[in-house]
Amino acid sequence: MIEVTNVWKRFAAPVLRDVTLRVPQGCLYGLIGPGAAGKSVLLKCLAGLLRPERGSVRVFGEAIESLDEVSLQAVRNRVGMLFQNNALFDHLTVAENIAFPLRRRGVTDEAEIAERVADRLRAVSLPGFEQRLPGGLSGGQKKRVGVARATVTRADVVLYDEPAAGLDPVTSQKIFDLLRREQQEAGATVVMVSSDIDRLLTVTDRVGMMLDGALIFDGTTAEAQGSLHPVVKQFVHGEVDGPL
Amino acid sequence: MATEEEGPAAQTGRAVLSLATDVGGAAVLAARLARRMVPPRLDGPELWRNLYRMGVRSLPIVGVTALFTGGIMVIQAGVLIRRFGAEGLLGWGAGFTTLREVGPILIALMFSGRVGANNTAELATMTVTEQIDALETLAIDPLSYLILPRVLSMVVMLFVLTVYGDVLALLGAAFMGDALLGVSTATFWNGLLDAIRVWDLATGLIKSALFGGVIALSSSHYGLSVSGGAPGVGRAVNASVVASATGIFVCDYLATYILQ
Repeated sequence: MIEVTNVWKRFAAPVLRDVTLRVPQGCLYGLIGPGAAGKSVLLKCLAGLLRPERGSVRVFGEAIESLDEVSLQAVRNRVGMLFQNNALFDHLTVAENIAFPLRRRGVTDEAEIAERVADRLRAVSLPGFEQRLPGGLSGGQKKRVGVARATVTRADVVLYDEPAAGLDPVTSQKIFDLLRREQQEAGATVVMVSSDIDRLLTVTDRVGMMLDGALIFDGTTAEAQGSLHPVVKQFVHGEVDGPL
Repeated sequence: MATEEEGPAAQTGRAVLSLATDVGGAAVLAARLARRMVPPRLDGPELWRNLYRMGVRSLPIVGVTALFTGGIMVIQAGVLIRRFGAEGLLGWGAGFTTLREVGPILIALMFSGRVGANNTAELATMTVTEQIDALETLAIDPLSYLILPRVLSMVVMLFVLTVYGDVLALLGAAFMGDALLGVSTATFWNGLLDAIRVWDLATGLIKSALFGGVIALSSSHYGLSVSGGAPGVGRAVNASVVASATGIFVCDYLATYILQ
């Protein structure tokens, strides 16, 4: 479903170094690592927002780094994404934000749009928020609206960048449980970047760890928790002493 | 960013590179927008929304500016008009100056401050909060959806606002000429209509379209190329206003020279 092969990307300095990764269909894949490890950059490469200098990123079998704009849009129509800052459109209401991807993909039946928006708002426990503007929402509510927008098209691949950043522990756990439930119901392939390791590992099937732009671990959640790799062990268990 | 060790040559080189980057960036943006014009690929509702908020909502500020500009021109010219008894030239003087130069320039500067700065701030905020990226992941071309409607709206509405401002400035001048200098409105309009050519009006309107393009491209370029979070948004707005004003005067010089 998602195959990343020997990907290199640099800005002022290299941010992705020879990353190779495979995410099977229907898998919830957690991407962990310290700050500035390259996790969000890798996620943006998967979404086709950034193109690697070397290597290949294949989504649905398409090498998206070499697609033209029209072909890339066809791939993006099957991808949903939640951004770290939520990226809700400020001038649109909650309902309009959630309906936005549907309208842009040609859904014109207003009754169907209203029903799907209401369904998403129920799923994220925000019924009745349709006419609110993003500026009037709390951080957790914005995050949940972002989740609703990312999942409204029932995309085959969903990418989440820090879905619980800045949220209290209870809301964080609710968000992770919601994302897991959504993923299982839709059968989607999910890649999730999060610094909230404890909660992330309660929902993932597989985990990858990045450090300084390189993928230093790729395995099941249980393997990550039992890893003897000093960096992975220290990071996963939140130990103070270690190489990090 | 300049360092303490850099000499004047390095600083000059850095400034030239920065200028070339911005001018080149705006030119590339213009080329990418031009590609989306054939065939037209733009969002209709966004176009109408921008025409309204950029144009209709600018009417009061442009109207006030234009009325007072017309009045000020008469006050400044009043001494000479009285000394030489040249009341019949008041309409020609006010019309020539307003239509060819003062109207387009002042209205463009007001438009840049109100609409261009706002455009940069909006686009820059959307960029740093990843809303532009979000559009792309939703398979929406940000240039067609966001930028092209704004650029077209700015060019069209600055043209329309210049016509509106010219009329109000001349009305202001006629009123002040009557009130301050005792030049009747009939004398004023006769002087204006006898001496002013259609080309004088056209020159000002061609300039206003050019100024609209300069404001639209520079404000959009700085909004889209912002980096550095909230402080970056402030820097982008500042740079956009300065670049727009500079671009307006450079274009005015060139257009005046060519359209003589």
